[in-house]
Amino acid sequence: MKKINIWAWIILFIGMIYFFLPLISTLEFSMKMIKDRYTFEAFRVAFTDRVFFERFGYSVLWALLTITLSTLLVVPTAYWVHWKLPKARPFVEFVTLMPFVVPAVVLTFGFIRLYARPPFFLNDRPILLIAGYIILSLPYMFRAVDTGLRAIDVRTLTEAALSLGAGWGTILTQVIFPNLRVAILSGVFLTFAIVMGEFTFASLLAKPAFGPYMEEIGSMRAYTPQALSLVSFLLTWASIGLLQWIGRGRVQEQVAGAH
Amino acid sequence: MAFLEINNVSKKFGATEAVSDFNLQIEKGELVSFLGPSGCGKTTTLRMVAGFEMPTDGRIVMDGKDITDMPANQRDVGMVFQSYALFPNMTVAGNIGFGLKIMKKSAEETNQRTKEMLDLINMPEYAHRYPYQLSGGQQQRVALARALALRPDVLLLDEPLSALDAKIRVSLRAEIRDIQRKLGITAIYVTHDQEEALSLSDRVVVMNAGKMEQVGTPFQIYNFPETNFVASFVGTLNTAEAEVVDPARGLISMDGVQFVSADDLNGRKKGDKVRMSVRPERFNFADDQKKDNLLDCTIENITFLGSVVRIQVKIGKTVFNMDTFNNPFLELPKIGDNGQVTCSKEAVLVISH
Repeated sequence: MKKINIWAWIILFIGMIYFFLPLISTLEFSMKMIKDRYTFEAFRVAFTDRVFFERFGYSVLWALLTITLSTLLVVPTAYWVHWKLPKARPFVEFVTLMPFVVPAVVLTFGFIRLYARPPFFLNDRPILLIAGYIILSLPYMFRAVDTGLRAIDVRTLTEAALSLGAGWGTILTQVIFPNLRVAILSGVFLTFAIVMGEFTFASLLAKPAFGPYMEEIGSMRAYTPQALSLVSFLLTWASIGLLQWIGRGRVQEQVAGAH
Repeated sequence: MAFLEINNVSKKFGATEAVSDFNLQIEKGELVSFLGPSGCGKTTTLRMVAGFEMPTDGRIVMDGKDITDMPANQRDVGMVFQSYALFPNMTVAGNIGFGLKIMKKSAEETNQRTKEMLDLINMPEYAHRYPYQLSGGQQQRVALARALALRPDVLLLDEPLSALDAKIRVSLRAEIRDIQRKLGITAIYVTHDQEEALSLSDRVVVMNAGKMEQVGTPFQIYNFPETNFVASFVGTLNTAEAEVVDPARGLISMDGVQFVSADDLNGRKKGDKVRMSVRPERFNFADDQKKDNLLDCTIENITFLGSVVRIQVKIGKTVFNMDTFNNPFLELPKIGDNGQVTCSKEAVLVISH
């Protein structure tokens, strides 16, 4: 037993080094902007750039729009599939895997070819970018919601609500959504993290998003991009931490015997 | 006209007929149970009354109104599910008040009615608990209160006690019956447990393979089964093939052993094959009293079941179960003993196939 314990710690330690060392080096490097001194100058420069806030703001806005639309699309769809069309589940799941099958570059060019010409002319609108983001979010959103739906007895809960006179709107908003809160949130934070760092769509559609901004800065400056990538990393972490906090499990205490 | 009429209802799923030609008139305040093995169509029939399935054929009429095509959420029925189906995100009070809120009742009325319902199920102190903080039996009582909160015309219960353990099952079933009687509500109770059906119901509908086998009071169903299926599904029953010997005197023969039956054998001829059956509790060991049937037997096996002792006796070439009440002062026979058992001629049933 003792031996296994030591090995477990060693492996954990190696894993931690693998994970943290690049982060520490990035931090170390980003602090060397001023010669022979450790300072947060690079962070100061990054945060005083007006463009940074503008781009960051755009990305947050688009991420929120993506999340809203994606949730409104995925939750009712997944719910309907569970309740009425369980046979269609593999097909829907396959469709949601599209961003893993079709590379983002191909998707974007497809978008441009289809929507940047008559009768659409949508290439100037952020809707095209958001549509792309929704597709990117599908595998995460669908899987999260799907898992959440499996954990509750969708069919019986729906029937119970129906027999109490509830309509579809009430069932979705008062029974299904609240019981999927944690599942939806995990999809939401993943989507947020993906959209904030996304490069291909934004760059090819020439949208002023945060991803291309990081890339532009990276090609022009040495220290600020390191600071920025740390910031975006912390942002992702914060999202996941928030998720853990909101989704912290209720204690499942069954009152045994006390009927 | 009955309060709830199910007229010639059938339901097909693709090529399979889950329910065929179901006919039943239920009076106001009556509790009728649908009894049968799984897959017999009892739940499908219940779901058609609830509006979760649409009948392929036939009509359902409630209180003079044809509700066959009415959506589930407009029907005046309450439903209790096997899996409780409480909304996990709502408290006990939230669950009970859910329907009332949808009906846009005032907050005052909702609270008042929720309190009434909590009193009805003897759980007034549980209003603010969540379902996961309750035991199975408590959850099902809350589900019952939720179904009754809107004062529906009909209460539907789909195997409500199947997920609970034996003790709670018995006490909760009495409670359900009490509440149903107190409110005078019309109810349909689906179960595969014959004891449940017999103890709860005003009438029992025994179903098999989508068809109604027999409708009657628990007394009729148990004592006078009309079909072989009912006889074998409800209670324990000994059945054996026999041959008519003398229709006028009710004489039949099983492997050369003669039985007298009180059943009407008119219309049958000597030599006709029939199926005879005797309930285990109708056999007795022979004593001084004269009985219609006095039969030689060998003791094959003895099983002690607590209040009842089940003894397997071999009569002719057939083994029959015989139940006697446990009596600690009475000596039981031993395996291999020869003896005699008796039963009255009323106990020997001749069942039409």
